[in-house]
Amino acid sequence: MTRALLVLLCLLALSAPALSQAMQYERPVDTAPREKDIGGGYTTPEVQKPLPRGAWLLILDFALLGAALAASVWLTIYKRSRRAVVWLSLFSLVYFGFYREGCVCPVGSLQNVAVALTDPNYRIPILVTATFFLPLIVAALFGRAFCGGVCALGAIQEFVLIKPVRVPRRLDQALGLLKYAYLGAAIWFAIQPAASRDFLVCRFDPFVSIFRRTGFAHMYAIGAAFLIGGMFVGRPYCRYLCPYGGLLSWCARLAPRGVSITPGRELDCGLCNDACPYGAIEKMRADQAGCLYCARCYRSCPVDRKESGLIAIEEIRPA
Amino acid sequence: MTPRILRRATVLCGALILACCAVLTFDYFQTRLRAPAEEARIAALQKEVRQDAARAAVLYAEQQRITRARDARNARTQRLKWVLIALSALFVTGAKRIIESPGAKPAPSKLPTQSSKTTRRPIPRPVAGSNGPPAVDLAFVNEVVAREGTGPEAAITILQAIQDHYRYLPEEALERVCEMTAITPAQITGAATFYGRFRRRPVGRHIVRVCHGTACHVAGAREISEQLRRDLAIPDGSDTDPERIFTLEEVACLGCCSLAPVLMVDNHASGKLTPAAAIDALDAAHPREPA
Repeated sequence: MTRALLVLLCLLALSAPALSQAMQYERPVDTAPREKDIGGGYTTPEVQKPLPRGAWLLILDFALLGAALAASVWLTIYKRSRRAVVWLSLFSLVYFGFYREGCVCPVGSLQNVAVALTDPNYRIPILVTATFFLPLIVAALFGRAFCGGVCALGAIQEFVLIKPVRVPRRLDQALGLLKYAYLGAAIWFAIQPAASRDFLVCRFDPFVSIFRRTGFAHMYAIGAAFLIGGMFVGRPYCRYLCPYGGLLSWCARLAPRGVSITPGRELDCGLCNDACPYGAIEKMRADQAGCLYCARCYRSCPVDRKESGLIAIEEIRPA
Repeated sequence: MTPRILRRATVLCGALILACCAVLTFDYFQTRLRAPAEEARIAALQKEVRQDAARAAVLYAEQQRITRARDARNARTQRLKWVLIALSALFVTGAKRIIESPGAKPAPSKLPTQSSKTTRRPIPRPVAGSNGPPAVDLAFVNEVVAREGTGPEAAITILQAIQDHYRYLPEEALERVCEMTAITPAQITGAATFYGRFRRRPVGRHIVRVCHGTACHVAGAREISEQLRRDLAIPDGSDTDPERIFTLEEVACLGCCSLAPVLMVDNHASGKLTPAAAIDALDAAHPREPA
């Protein structure tokens, strides 16, 4: 618990420079020619996509993110209901994915925060900073609740997972290192001077072209490849590439609470081990760093199913 | 929805997904291939207009035509993308249903052939005297009593030895023990009924323990037991088939829940069973006589 608090303090300390920069900014649009300057009944076409959102809508987005995180924690580790987590994922996929078209998402926001920390001329709204830190704080307290029912990128992969195959542990661990390399590359390209800056995570986001139903053909192909692979390998992007997942798993290691499989409440029968498509159950215990909060282990657990009333135990009469 | 309709609908969805992808890919390459020619044509027309203003109408018409064609294609693409997303959702749902349905794992044709095999194990004649306990040779009882002594403290040891020898506690043997020792019939009956390990009825050659622990119960232990009882033609209220080959026991847990459902034939465990696989496990222990 003390370790978690320490990490929280560190996170807050880290966020201080970003917060100090996070103020409302005005774009100097006065310099551009306005409709009345042009005259002749000219109307400016709506060329900007996505159009800027009203402030209260941005606050609503952030409130929904917070609510979804709270719901994910509540439904997964207290209610232990897979069904409810699926509904939450569906909501996140529709709202954060297809309606909000994958923006603002904490995964990409790590680049904005990295730039804001390094470039004195770059400012981000406080909501972006908060969007970046909130899932990390939740992860440091409860584990990767963001990955479970909240992340739209995770949800779309969660739904296509039809027949999970077990990735050999060695290979799983080796591929898991890729996300840290990607994290390093994403930060490196983001903190370049403004002229050569590049947001790799957003540019190569495999599913955002599906959410927006527009994009480069090669991004569609990459997205489709991830989804087809994701039918058999559980959430390949989250486990092997997502840079934010790397940050979350660091924070989740310190979580005092989280998805837990105990010999006292559950019975160490190993069914959850077979049910986990992400290889996050090691020696019958949940690995907080790898657990993606899908609650499949609880669905497979006879004890939990009995407690939630899904099954009943009948007495067996001797023959 | 029946499994067959579900399967067909899923396959249909898959085919439509492929068709959508094909149309989108075709559109994409068609646009890519046509674009340079269209651009060139517009550029040429623009050049002409610069020399001859009368050509402006042609340029305008051409631009309108190209724009309309592109708009139409874009609209179709957008519609197709929504259709594709909806179809993918249906396909994934259907495929998940098919894979998770309990009938998916064993080949569906396997069960009927199994039940037809039942004829190979002779179906019992219901009231052939074979159901009564076989005659018991009591010489062993004398031997045990001589070895273990005649005091009440020897009761359990004697019972264990008798069960080891006869594989159950024959009524005659217990009576003989009472005659020969200081143990009263009440003490014998008390010990023999208190411990679940002591059997009062003759057992078959093999003891089959079907796990009915929580995990196995959930994974279908009841179906396994029922199928075995049917297959072995064990009458209600009994636990042994009339041929006395198998005795069926339902036990609380065999300690390997990850293999659920599990059964043990004597000391050999088989896991991840289906009703058909359970019969196979019994056949492996005691092959059927050919019909």
